[in-house]
Parts: sequence; C-alpha cells; structure tokens
Amino acid sequence: MTGVALQVDRIAKRFGRLDALSDVSFDVADGELTVLLGAAGAGKTTTLRTIAGLEVPDRGRVFVKGRDVTHLEPKDRNLAMIFDNLALYPNKTGFANIAHPLQVQKLAATTIEQRVTAVAATLRISHVLNRLPATMSGGERQRVALGRALVRDPDLFLLDEPLSSLDAMLRIELRSELKRMQRDHGYAFLLATPDYVEALAIADRVVMLVGGQVRQIAPPQVLYDDPVDREVARFVGAPEINLIAADYDPSDGGRIRIADAVMPLPVAQRERLGGASRSFQAGLRPEHVRLSDGGGAAARVSDIEALGLQSIVTFDASGAVLRAVVPSAEGRRLQIGDRVGLTFSLERMIGFEERTGSRVA
Amino acid sequence: MPVRPLSWFLLLVLLGAIVITLFPTFWIVMTAIKPPTDWNAAPAIWIPSKPTLVNFRTLFDPEAIREYGVGGVSQAATMSVLGSIFASTTATALSVIIGLLSAIGISRYSSGGRATPLLILSGRMFPPAAIAVPFVIIFSNIALIDTYSGLIAIYVAATLPFSTWMLKSFVDEIPREIEEAAMVDGKSRLMAHLTVTLPLIRGGLFATTLFIFILNWSEFLFALVLSYTNIETIPVRLAKYVTATAGTLYGVQAALAVLAMVPLVIAGFLIQNHLARGMTFGAVKR
Repeated sequence: MTGVALQVDRIAKRFGRLDALSDVSFDVADGELTVLLGAAGAGKTTTLRTIAGLEVPDRGRVFVKGRDVTHLEPKDRNLAMIFDNLALYPNKTGFANIAHPLQVQKLAATTIEQRVTAVAATLRISHVLNRLPATMSGGERQRVALGRALVRDPDLFLLDEPLSSLDAMLRIELRSELKRMQRDHGYAFLLATPDYVEALAIADRVVMLVGGQVRQIAPPQVLYDDPVDREVARFVGAPEINLIAADYDPSDGGRIRIADAVMPLPVAQRERLGGASRSFQAGLRPEHVRLSDGGGAAARVSDIEALGLQSIVTFDASGAVLRAVVPSAEGRRLQIGDRVGLTFSLERMIGFEERTGSRVA
Repeated sequence: MPVRPLSWFLLLVLLGAIVITLFPTFWIVMTAIKPPTDWNAAPAIWIPSKPTLVNFRTLFDPEAIREYGVGGVSQAATMSVLGSIFASTTATALSVIIGLLSAIGISRYSSGGRATPLLILSGRMFPPAAIAVPFVIIFSNIALIDTYSGLIAIYVAATLPFSTWMLKSFVDEIPREIEEAAMVDGKSRLMAHLTVTLPLIRGGLFATTLFIFILNWSEFLFALVLSYTNIETIPVRLAKYVTATAGTLYGVQAALAVLAMVPLVIAGFLIQNHLARGMTFGAVKR
C-alpha cells in the first residue's frame, strides 16, 4: 500500500495582473518521483514555493501526508527543498551547511556528527566538509545542497531544477544518482525541470504545466506517445514532432492523404476520427517517418545532420517540412537534393485540430 | 591578487593627494597645541616651538587659559562632549535598528508597495533649514525643545532614510533563497532574517552605523536651534569660543575639534576590514 505524500488541491496564485498558477491540482505518492515539467514561466518554481510555504496561495490547499499545511510556516511543514541557485550558507563550511537543519532541531552534537558524516560519505563529499562553499566546485556545491536536504527525514523533497547549472556529463551522472537514492530510500520527490529529457529519464510520473495550468499528468512514455494536445506534443521530444496537413476520407475503408500520398488508415485512428471526412493536422514523431523502398510520399532531401549513431534528415514533401531520424548508415547514402519516397508509421500517428491544437486522433 | 609596484609618477600623484587631504588635519592638530600667541601669528608658525596642552585643559577648566593672559571662557565643554556622545550614539542605534527592520521589510516583503523606498528618500529632499524653524515652534508646544529626547527624535528621523537605503542595498545583495533555505530547515521567519542575513551583511551594517554616527556627530543646525541651556553638542560648543576680549579662541576650538575626531578615527580603524568584504561569494550560482 502506498500513501499520498503530497496533495495539491486547486491552488491559484496571482502576481499583480499575472495569473502565475490557476487551479493547479496533483498528487505525489509515497516513494514516487514526480517531475513538474514546463517551460520557463510555466509556474514550476511558484508551485514548489507554494508547497514549501514560501508563497501563500490565493486559493486552494496543500496537504502533506494528509495534513493541511496551507497556512503553516515553512518550518512546520517538514519538507526539504533544494533551490535552483542552491542557497548554501556562504559563511558556513560544508559540514555546518549540512548540519544546519539538525542544529535547528537541537539534536545532540554526536548525533549530528554521525548523520552528517554518513550523508557526506554517501554523496562522496567528505573532503569538502571543512571548506566554504566559495572554494567548492559546482558539483560539490550541488551535493552539499543535496546533503542538507538528505540529512533530514522530511515527508517530501522539493527540487527546483537541481541539475541545471552542471555540465552535461555531471548532470547525467548526478541524475541517475538522484534517482537511485530516491528509489533506495523510498523518498517522495517532486522535481521541477524545463528539460523533457531529464523528465523522461527519471520520472515515475510527469505533471506538465503550461501557463500556470496543469495540462497533463501521465507517466513519461504516455506523455510522449499520447500527448493531450499539440503544445505538449511539441514540448516533449527532439527533434520536434512533425506537423503536417492531412485529409481523412472515411469512404473505401478509411483513407488518409499526407503530402501527395494516399494511404489506408489503421482501425484505431479511423475510429477516433469518426465517420465524416475532415482535414486535420497529423503529428508524426521523426522516428515514425521512414524512407520507402519504393512509392510513398514524394520528397526531396533538404538537409542532413549526422549525429553519430543516427542522422536527422529534413525533407521537403510537396511544400511541407518533415524531419526523420534514420540510422547513420542510411543517412550517409543520402545527399541533399535526392528525391525519395517516404512512408509513415500511421499506427503511431496522432492528430490535432488545425486551429486549436486539441487532439482529434 | 599580486601587488604591483607603483610607478614614480603615480607615487607622486598619490603623495600630492595625501598631502592635500591631510593638511587641514595637520593644521588643526598643530593649532590645538599652540599657545595663544602662536594661533594667528604672521608669518604663520607651522610647528609650535613650545607646544602646550593648555587648550585641551581649557576645554574642561575654563580658567586654565588665563595663565597666558587670555580670559572670558565662561563654560566647560564637558556637558557638550557628554551631550554629543549621548545624543549621537542613541540616535545612531535607533536609526540603524529601525532602518534594518525597514530594510528587511522592504527588501523581502515589499512593505508598503513599490514606491516606499522612494517615498522614504523624498523626506530628505527639502533643505533642513526649511523645517528647522517649524520644528522650534512645534517642539516648544510639546515640550521637546531643549531636551535630548527631542534632538534624538529629529536625528533618527533625519538619518532613517539613509540607514534604510544603505541597509536595503546590502540586504538586497543577499539572495533571499538563503533565508528561505533556513526557513525550510526549520527556522522562523524572523530568526531566518536575523541569524542568516545579519552575519552576511555585517560589513555593511558597520559601514552604515559609522556613516549615520558621523552625520549625527557633526550635525549643527538642529542642535543649535533646538537647544537653549539644558542641552549642548560639540558642534554648537565649537561656535561659542568667541570672547569679548581676545576674539576667537582658535586653539581651544582646535582642541575640541581634535577631540571630536578621535572616536571617528578609532571606529574607522576598527572596522576597516569589514568595509570592503564580499561575504556572499560562492553562496549561489550566478
């Protein structure tokens, strides 16, 4: 049985004329890593700060372990938070930084010593315990900030873009370390990030924020395969999902025209599009566009980016731009200007209404 | 940072600047130890051949100067020295404490809205002379004239814009997330402000205190118009060393001025290490 570590119930927050959050609701289960995903300004930090008690919501409630904490001071919420700028105490050593929450709780000096030493060993930062933050490397500071959170036993960890300042290698290393630590100890994590790769890599569940509203809550793979609308589809995935005009004709068993190719449509899509013929915008991930052995939509190669394992090929298909991810061996055989045929994995296609971007298939 | 040797040219320029800056100080110290005959001798006497402490003694014993045949000092400066110390330290302490709390309020909670900082500063925009006389009338009516409470109230009101603004700029430099981290760690709001931010702005706090103290210590206008007989400060006393028989007693004035400089010089030396220290380096990612 798993309980609920955090429950956010329709919180709203307004800054002047800006609606920073409107009716944001979601849960974080015990032992679960939930990622708050969204572009800059989507309300990720405001959400975390509201949960921590650093902002008071205009409406709505926050429950930690079933306890209503909406109007409690931060100190009474039993949460740990890692700030996007880390916020280490600059005049305290690594040890004193990590020990601070325990000192505030007035624990015995020997207990504090033991716990700080243990946490530092897990994080491999024992060597910086006597140093000031100014003398530490970026990764070491990050780990000290992490240590300051882990040394406690909070009901929930809030992490605001905890890996954003690190270089790529270290980010990937710390990312998996973070995930492992969370899983091993059964911690409840709520991590905010604008990076969908990070979200897909570590999340058990993703809460997608757009303009201060929850747009979709789903496991990462569902977010990728079955986004709720065009905005989410475009935010998640790189290269971006291909959007191309399509015409659906239900007669003759259901057919679809994309660029200059007319193809039979799989049953699932046919059912969702309904019985009337219509035009819509087809969404096709780059890995679902392939070179055909013959036939298919006529296209011209307009750009090739070799990325080692794979190549990204850009095509011009009857005036529409399509990108495909192909194995490098295949990419090397192509040249800019080549005329080729394209086929699509139509069973993976999703469809949007052209004007509103809402899902139609 | 490696110390580069100065070029001869730069050294000369610096020496010139030092001479120009320190000459008035040199002259007043010399005048303070000159006997009355040397005060305004022509040609000027730079360094007295027979230095004396009689000017300093006259400050506290008005009769002392008579041994040089000069008379007419009616009152010792003791009261004005004690008065200056009391009024300036009390007013400075109040101004800095209230200023610090305002600075935290404005910086962290935008107390009073966005215009508050400018509103506070606007209180300094009219000349003190314009409000001096109204204050004499008001203070007469509410029995605050010729009292230290009245003078201190004016000093606090006059310096509060400066202390608030200076301290606000120091508080602004400390990322609020450091305080917020302490709150999440289990500290109350007030304790987070006081135990986290205060140590980090220590240098700024010392600098502000010194600045406000200098303002109060050397204030003349209000101290003059708001005092009759019960209170006096050093700047007002300085203006009173004019006698009917011997004219202005330059040496005694100089002695009191030298005495007035002492606490400022000592304070400056004590806190010079704090004045320019960047305490926040490495606290947050930039």
